[in-house]
Amino acid sequence: MPHDEVYEAMSSSFEDGSPVALATVAQTLGSTPRKTGAKMLVREDGTFVGTIGGGCGEAEVWQEAMDALEDGDARMVTVDLTEPVDGEDKICGGIMRIFVEKLEA
Amino acid sequence: MAKSAEIARALLTAAREGPAVASCTVMGATAGVEVSLGAKMLVYAERELGGIGGGALESAVADFARSAIPKHLVQTCAFTPEGEFVEGRRAIEAAEAIVEVLVEVVEPAATLLVVGGGHVGLAVGQLGAMLGMEVAIIDDREDYANEDRFPYEANVICGDFGEELERFPITANTFIVLVSRGHKVDELALRSVAERGAGYVGMIGSKRRTRTVLQHLAEEGLDREALDRVFTPIGLDIGAETPEEIAVSVLGEIILVRRGGGAQPMSEHGRLLASARR
Repeated sequence: MPHDEVYEAMSSSFEDGSPVALATVAQTLGSTPRKTGAKMLVREDGTFVGTIGGGCGEAEVWQEAMDALEDGDARMVTVDLTEPVDGEDKICGGIMRIFVEKLEA
Repeated sequence: MAKSAEIARALLTAAREGPAVASCTVMGATAGVEVSLGAKMLVYAERELGGIGGGALESAVADFARSAIPKHLVQTCAFTPEGEFVEGRRAIEAAEAIVEVLVEVVEPAATLLVVGGGHVGLAVGQLGAMLGMEVAIIDDREDYANEDRFPYEANVICGDFGEELERFPITANTFIVLVSRGHKVDELALRSVAERGAGYVGMIGSKRRTRTVLQHLAEEGLDREALDRVFTPIGLDIGAETPEEIAVSVLGEIILVRRGGGAQPMSEHGRLLASARR
C-alpha cells in the first residue's frame, strides 16, 4: 500500500519548518487491524494523518507520538489488543509493536 | 547524511510516480549495539539515499533491500551488527546482538485494467478496488461503461477498445484482465497489450477458444514469448462459478504473480482434498 498521504503531510510540515512524529507498525502477532508498515503521522497540534488501526490502540500510540514530539526520543511501543479493557471487548486480539519517532526537516 | 525533508520528498515521489524504492529504517537494537534509532536509507535499483551508519551492516541491508523491491516486501528484518541476516524467531532469540530494520517497498498502487464492463468485469474491478489497486474499466457500450454502474472508485472509459488501449499507459505495475463480451474483442485487446510489458495479462475463456486467439496472434507475427506469458484460461482453479467467484479466482492469480506464493491450500487437509479432485 502506498502511504502517499502520510508522505505528503510529512513533506508539507517540513516545508513549514514543523517537526512531526511518525508511528509505523514494525511487527504484528495474531489478529491485528493493520499490518507491518502501516503509518500514522502526528503533528504538533495533535492532528494526524493515516491510521495504524482505528480504535484499537490508536489513542495510546497517539499519546506516545505527542510525547516523542516533546522529548525527541524514538521508542518502540507494544500495543496488546488481547486483553479486554473495562469489560469492553477489543475486537482485534493481537499484539502490535509500533515504532514511534520524531522527524524534523 | 540526507535530511528528513529530502527523504520525505523522495518517498512521496516513489509512492506517486515510482520508480519503486525500498525504504529501510533502524527500529531497534540489542542494548549496547551502536546504532542510531530511526536512521533511514532509501535503496533504489542503482543507488542509495541516506544511510544507517555505514559498514558491513549498511551494505548488507542495502543488498537485502534491493532484492526486496521486485517482491513488494514489507517486513521487519533482523541483522547482526556485522551484517549477517538472521532468519526465524529462534535464531533471533539465540543471537548475541541484533539490529532490527524495517524494509518496506514504496511504490505506486498497482493499476488493474479491466477490458469489458460486463458482470465479470464489474466484479473483478470491485475486488481490485478493495485490494487497493487503481481500477480502470474499458468498454465500448455506454450501458456497460458509465460511472453509475460501478459502485467503487474507477476510471471508467467508454470508447473504441483498440484506440483506448493504445492510449492507456502500461507499465510492469499494470495488471490487465481481458473479460470482454466476446473473443473478437479479447483478441483485439490482446493484440494491443500483449507486447507492452504489463505485470500480468489474463484472458477469460475456455482452453479451446483461448488457444485459437493465441494462434491467430502468433500467425500475425506477435512475439511468441509475450503470448506464452498470457494467463489463459484465466484464474486459479477454485471451482469459481459466479462472476464474484471468478473475480476471486482472477485476483487470487494476480496476488500470486505479485507476491509469489505457491497457490496451494496452506493445510495438509486442504492439499489432499485439492489433489484428490485434480
